[in-house]
Amino acid sequence: MPGQQGEGSRDDGLSISRRNFLRALVLVSGAAVVLGMLRGLEYLVPPEVGVSSFPRLLLVAEDGTPIKASKLPVNAQPTIALFPYPLNNEPNFLLNLGDENNQPIEIPPTTVMIPQNGVTYEFPGGVGPSKSIVAFSAICQHLGCEFPELTFYPPGYKAITALGPKDRVLHCSCHGSTFDPYRGGAVVTGPTVRPLPAVVLEWDSSTDELYAVRMIGPVIYGHPGYNTPTPTLTNNPTGDLQGGTPISGSSTTVTTYTNPALSQG
Amino acid sequence: MGEKRDFTDWFTDLLHLKDVPFMGVPDYMFSIEHWLGGIAASALAWQAITGLLLLLYYQPSDAYNSTMAIIRTVPFGSIILSSHLYGAYIMILAVYMHGLHIMFNGGYKKPRGFQWILGVLLFVLTLGISFVGYSLTGDVLATDAVDVGRGILTSLGLQSLIPVFFGNGTELDLFTRLLGWHIIIAAAIILFFVIHFYLAEENGLMPRLKDANYRAPAIISRSDPRIKPWWPRNFIYMVAMAFMVWGLIILIPSILALPSVYPYVPILFSPYPGPSPTSPQAAAVPAYPPWFFLFLYKMADMPLGLRYDMVLSMIVPIIILLIIPAIDRSENLHPMDRPLITALALIGLTWLIELSVWSAIQPGVPVMLLWAALVMLPPLVIIAAGIYVLNRYWLRIRGVVLNGGGAMQQRQGRSWFLSKSAASMLSYITGILAIIVIALSVMLNPITEGPYIGVLWGSALLLLSASIFNYFYVLYM
Repeated sequence: MPGQQGEGSRDDGLSISRRNFLRALVLVSGAAVVLGMLRGLEYLVPPEVGVSSFPRLLLVAEDGTPIKASKLPVNAQPTIALFPYPLNNEPNFLLNLGDENNQPIEIPPTTVMIPQNGVTYEFPGGVGPSKSIVAFSAICQHLGCEFPELTFYPPGYKAITALGPKDRVLHCSCHGSTFDPYRGGAVVTGPTVRPLPAVVLEWDSSTDELYAVRMIGPVIYGHPGYNTPTPTLTNNPTGDLQGGTPISGSSTTVTTYTNPALSQG
Repeated sequence: MGEKRDFTDWFTDLLHLKDVPFMGVPDYMFSIEHWLGGIAASALAWQAITGLLLLLYYQPSDAYNSTMAIIRTVPFGSIILSSHLYGAYIMILAVYMHGLHIMFNGGYKKPRGFQWILGVLLFVLTLGISFVGYSLTGDVLATDAVDVGRGILTSLGLQSLIPVFFGNGTELDLFTRLLGWHIIIAAAIILFFVIHFYLAEENGLMPRLKDANYRAPAIISRSDPRIKPWWPRNFIYMVAMAFMVWGLIILIPSILALPSVYPYVPILFSPYPGPSPTSPQAAAVPAYPPWFFLFLYKMADMPLGLRYDMVLSMIVPIIILLIIPAIDRSENLHPMDRPLITALALIGLTWLIELSVWSAIQPGVPVMLLWAALVMLPPLVIIAAGIYVLNRYWLRIRGVVLNGGGAMQQRQGRSWFLSKSAASMLSYITGILAIIVIALSVMLNPITEGPYIGVLWGSALLLLSASIFNYFYVLYM
């Protein structure tokens, strides 16, 4: 800047205290602007993906034909069926439960209790011609292990649980959590403190087709609110609708896998 | 107030700021023409920060949609994306001004020849990374750009490089590669910049011409009593400069993105990408390159065939720039003592502006030889003849001007200056306004009101910059 030589000789003297006050103001102003712009870090939070309400989805086989409830194998034998609902990253078991002779048995409505906080909710029971078809999240509520770690042990195939060998359970081999699919996915033994979320199914008796219509129970592991199962959230677990890509179309595809529980015998 | 002193002292000791090995400067260097490189570097820093942030959301598999999603659904995304675009624009402008300033002042002479060559490479890389960057959006202009890029490579006989730059033909490979090259070139720019800066420090900052007696090598002695330490003067000035540049980078595109302004912004200066190549609006968009390549676009219309058009507009200018230190080896630094280089710079700049404006007005209209001659020859003749005549005159008055002119300028410079109390008042006012403006921005929604937040952020940074500049003036000038 021109003219500095002239200035230096006759400094029109700001006193030390005024200089310090000016410096303080500039520092405060700088800090305020930086702090205000730090709000921009919200940029790091990705926009939510998901859907706004539970979709009603027809269950179809991999070839696109609707699943017939009366043709569904009992006790997940020889293969176990899974389908995503309500989002693509939320797999669920589709189980036609039966007795030791592989005859379908009626699953009655039941009240399920959440050990974490004592909240209860009503599991609506099985659907289909024998009221034996149920669906539960295939993501363990303890730390999120999925099928095949979490799988169904049909009658006669026992998992090693904290309460001894048990069949007719959904058992997770990661940390040993065990759930009872015959009683709404209730906790049999920990370490989990929350039951498995259930998919509410509808059976159209005229076409024998199955629909997934909503979820009941705790929010699916890892989705917003899964570890705070309040009564409201448990009866309408809207957290399930966020944190994944929506399923396109009006149907969800049921895929079958070999059940690792069967080979352990 | 004692605490404040302690804070700055503590900070100084914490980072050993008094020992930073950067060169201090005399007072007269605290002026914009000595900081043009600093402006480019500030913009580069902004580009690195926002570029890394954009990596979190950009998807080569879905280039256009993921780019538009950053604007529409990510908090502050519209500010980050549009400021990345305008950061590039300001960096390009700063690089041009920096280079021209050096060219007119003979800064490429000993001992700074290699510094100049690195600067030319940085200029080429900056234009290259900008080409890749605006192609990344996948909008209709990007699609055209990539197609034209293929054609230019082919015309130069370099078609074997097409897969290297643009991939094997699939859309996914194209955008994955463009993203990769964008980051690779950015890394190269940062590396070359660090060497360029290191050489600037080691060669010493170039003094004003009269201090060098208008003779190369222009070196300022490190024992010159006018040089004061780097800390804190250069640091404060640098911070104020960076905030000013960042303020402009945020403010300009945010104003252009305001709902009441956006519909009237020409596509060449749009803060956001254009329409998707598959949308119906795409047909209404002229096949423009970005504004800094308009001259190339018009050159491609020239009647010499694409190969010679491109050699003349890309290869020849770069080679001329690279060998300037070899062409002009005289000791003279004054622009009038180097008529060839001065004329070259003026002709180049005039042609650049002429071709760019022509291209914007008549995009893609083939040029007849007569038109080209009418546009290109007059500036050439006028500038060459003008410099020749001026040079004859200059040789007569040279001795007087070089010996007495400096004092004359200085007298003029003293005619007006800001009083310290007025500057400190300005510093208070702008500092407080910055706080108020940034406080207002907190109330706005970062997704739906992005441009408004951008206007406030840009204004706050400019106000803060003004406050620091005035503080600097009060305490250190």
